[in-house]
Amino acid sequence: MTTVIMRTTARAIVPIILVVAISLFVEGHNLPGGGFIGGVLTTTAFVIVYMAYGLDFLERGILGRDVDPGKEPSRDRVVVAYRRLFAYGFAVAVLSGLAPLVFGQAFLSQTFVILEGLPIYHHLEVASALAFDFGVYCVVVGGVLTILSVVGAE
Amino acid sequence: MSPDQAVIVAAVALPFVAAALTPLFFRVLGEGTGFAGTLVALASFGLLATQYGAEGTVALQWIPSLNVALQFYVDGWALLFALLACGIGALIFTYSPAYMHGQSGLVRYYAALLAFMGSIVGVALAADLIAIFLFWELTSLASFVLIGYYTADESSQYAARMAMLVTVGGGLFLLVGLLLLSIVAGDVLGPASAFNLAAMLENPEAMQAALRERGLFLPVLGLLAVGAATKSAQVPLHFWLPNAMAAPTPVSAFLHSATMVKVGVYFVGRVRPMLVGEEWLLLFATLGLTTMTICAMLAVAATDIKELLAYSTASHLGLMIAGFGFTSVYGAETGVFHLLNHALFKAALFLVAGIIAHEAGTREIAKLGGLRRDLPVTAAITTVAALSMAGIPPFNGFYSKELLYEAAVEASHHHEIGALGWLYPAVAVFGSIFTVLYSLRFLSLFFGDRPDELGPVQSPPLTMLVSPALLALLAAVVSVDPQFAVDLVVQPGLEATAVDPHEMHVGLPTSYSTPVGMSAVTILVGVAAFPFYDRLHDAIGAIPRRVPPIGANWWYDALVGSLTDEGRWLAGRVHNGLLRTYATWTLGATCALALVGFAAAGALDPIRLGLEATPSIALVLLVAVVGALAVVLSDSHVAGVLTLSILGFMIAIFYILASAPDLALTQLVVETLVLVIFLLVIEEIPDGAAIGFSRSVRDAGLSLAVGVTAFVTVLVTTGARPAGPTDIARGFVAEAVPQGGGTNVVNVTLVDFRGFDTLGELVVIGLAAISILTLIVMRGRGDSDLIDTRAGDELLDDGSAGDGPVGTHADGGDAEGTDSDSTDAGSESERGDEE
Repeated sequence: MTTVIMRTTARAIVPIILVVAISLFVEGHNLPGGGFIGGVLTTTAFVIVYMAYGLDFLERGILGRDVDPGKEPSRDRVVVAYRRLFAYGFAVAVLSGLAPLVFGQAFLSQTFVILEGLPIYHHLEVASALAFDFGVYCVVVGGVLTILSVVGAE
Repeated sequence: MSPDQAVIVAAVALPFVAAALTPLFFRVLGEGTGFAGTLVALASFGLLATQYGAEGTVALQWIPSLNVALQFYVDGWALLFALLACGIGALIFTYSPAYMHGQSGLVRYYAALLAFMGSIVGVALAADLIAIFLFWELTSLASFVLIGYYTADESSQYAARMAMLVTVGGGLFLLVGLLLLSIVAGDVLGPASAFNLAAMLENPEAMQAALRERGLFLPVLGLLAVGAATKSAQVPLHFWLPNAMAAPTPVSAFLHSATMVKVGVYFVGRVRPMLVGEEWLLLFATLGLTTMTICAMLAVAATDIKELLAYSTASHLGLMIAGFGFTSVYGAETGVFHLLNHALFKAALFLVAGIIAHEAGTREIAKLGGLRRDLPVTAAITTVAALSMAGIPPFNGFYSKELLYEAAVEASHHHEIGALGWLYPAVAVFGSIFTVLYSLRFLSLFFGDRPDELGPVQSPPLTMLVSPALLALLAAVVSVDPQFAVDLVVQPGLEATAVDPHEMHVGLPTSYSTPVGMSAVTILVGVAAFPFYDRLHDAIGAIPRRVPPIGANWWYDALVGSLTDEGRWLAGRVHNGLLRTYATWTLGATCALALVGFAAAGALDPIRLGLEATPSIALVLLVAVVGALAVVLSDSHVAGVLTLSILGFMIAIFYILASAPDLALTQLVVETLVLVIFLLVIEEIPDGAAIGFSRSVRDAGLSLAVGVTAFVTVLVTTGARPAGPTDIARGFVAEAVPQGGGTNVVNVTLVDFRGFDTLGELVVIGLAAISILTLIVMRGRGDSDLIDTRAGDELLDDGSAGDGPVGTHADGGDAEGTDSDSTDAGSESERGDEE
């Protein structure tokens, strides 16, 4: 599916998808969105890149590394990075759950503060749940991309 | 004096702790681990001995919400049994190192033996019904390991399986009986005592009256009897016990003399005061005397010394059960006293059998004789033990057998039992004649001529001789001064098992009475018939050979054998290695269970189809239905996947119309992703494999069933929902902003209120990724294995020929495998919807 139309479209829409994904993630607490949807949408952007340019494009074209063609897909450096991503994501989620224990709160209990008078934003709400949501985001991106790239390489 | 909780708990726990530490002992001591076992057994024995004379309950908290506690009840009967187990256990541990010299798997052997001893002590002391059952089944488990010690040996495996099946199966009957008992006790004694056997035994009349009032008396009696009978090898469930001689001889000595097989007898004695009555007499006296006679005859037919002793054990267990079965005080005296006597002489005899097998190299009775000159000490031990087993005065077995005769004669005085009044004594005498016969035969191994083919026989190591010698010495002490043993341990045991205990006296008879006459007849006939032993041996042995169904073993083999065959047949159908077979059975069974469950719960009645959808929703759903039909009818994979995504997008629009933007967003993104994954995978699937008509009918039926089940489930579950938002939903909406600081209730619920659920979802995604990674990596490595299983599958799948050319079979399986992977991935990502 590496046609010219596909490539051209991908160039235009992948950045848009990524921006939307990040905004979905950040706005999730107040508007439709959140870590899960943000994560899945980010994955979709990567999938479009894969479809338009092939599996090795990320390594060769963007990161500038050489790809060993005979290597098992599960040992690929990008796949290893994905695996690491979901492991870290899980760690972030668990740690954000453990943090309240230090303050004598129950596991996974969350809180929030509202900051007033900031430049540009003026009014910003910072929820501790964002850290947990970020863990969710990382696990979804890492996990689904691991599955996709391994299955896709077959 | 009330018992000391720490001492009792330590005595029960010590063997288990030691069992866990056995590998450590073995590393330090090697084959001397047995002597460490001796120390453990002696320590438990010593701890229990300090409680001599104590009576009462100690309790540890266990499951307070169910009123279950780890309770131990200490009285004369419990102490007698627990002390026997520890004492003989110590002797067995001393005997083992020499006997088991050079064997492998000794860690397992000693660990199991220690755990076994601990479980027996546990059963003896436990006063809580749940604890009794636990320890009861633990003895079965430990004995399974011990009987199957020679793991490579076919007959050993067979015997271990049989013992496990019979005794654990019987334990389940016991469990039901105990639960019925606890229900009644909960009402009579209050819920706090529902599982407390000690409390029940304090109010035996009230319990029996309540049981009878509810019509539960006979069921409870029967269930407990089945449990006790399987454990204590009563006819017709006696067959596992002779087979259990496949175990190493020290195990047999322990198992058959003092411990597991006596647990049933012990329990019958334990509940005797509560359940005793006319039914009790008829059940246990008949059962016990039948077992005693049949097994004594089978012992005469035995050709192997351990087989002879095993049947003799079953026969003596029958004697004890019969004793407890008689309702007079003599019955309880018989049971308690013979439990002690039998443990002493039978353990000694088994250990002697071990010495013979170890030194002479054979266990066949016909090949042995005249061992007196080679094994003089053993011969002396055997003389005491065998004459005691035969019940020849003044040896200890005589006293307890005399009590049985007395109880049998008494039985007709206490109850109107008609012809049984003389039948019981007659059968007791008849069975005892065979006891005299086989006891003399065992003794004759040491006398008479030495067969020429018998090789050189060396004298056994000292440690193997100490244990049986000590047992024979104890038996001799009881023989010389039975009143001493009675005062010391039998009287306290009697007080716990008899309804109206009195001061017990035993001694050699000084004047004629009916039991004395019966004993005289028994011994005279037995001795007179001994010259004809071989003819009797052949005659009894010929019966089961001629009519196999008369042997209980035949029934076991037939039953278990046919079950195995049926199981193999069923496994070939259900478990044939093909993914589609598994899917068919799993889905079919799930649908059937769900639908039957709904029907049984009456949930199907109030389903009403609500048709109040708005035109726009109706239109979207209509398009979805058309899309669904198109999926089924599409003739290529790509078209199928594309039409499937029409369905998915329609559902997303439906969510938008139903004002669930979060769900719609997730559905849209996931749908896109799934479409891509499908397209990625579909390239690998070979196109256009023709599917047979029968297969498509089956698949259509199955998918219809799954669809109907899902449809009905949705209707039933949503139909039961209360009108309007529930309390939980209202709570979440109200608390979202003040508690979570977010206006998106869905997201606040996910990360603030139900964060733990989301964490679970994360684990699911991680697991899916790891498992797919593993699957694909392993598939690359284990190719040869896969080919083998596929070849096997084809053989199994022969019946469904016409699936397509055999050559593409492997490909088909492969494609199915990959397909399932991607569906897994899809369904995992779709889990987001449910959030």
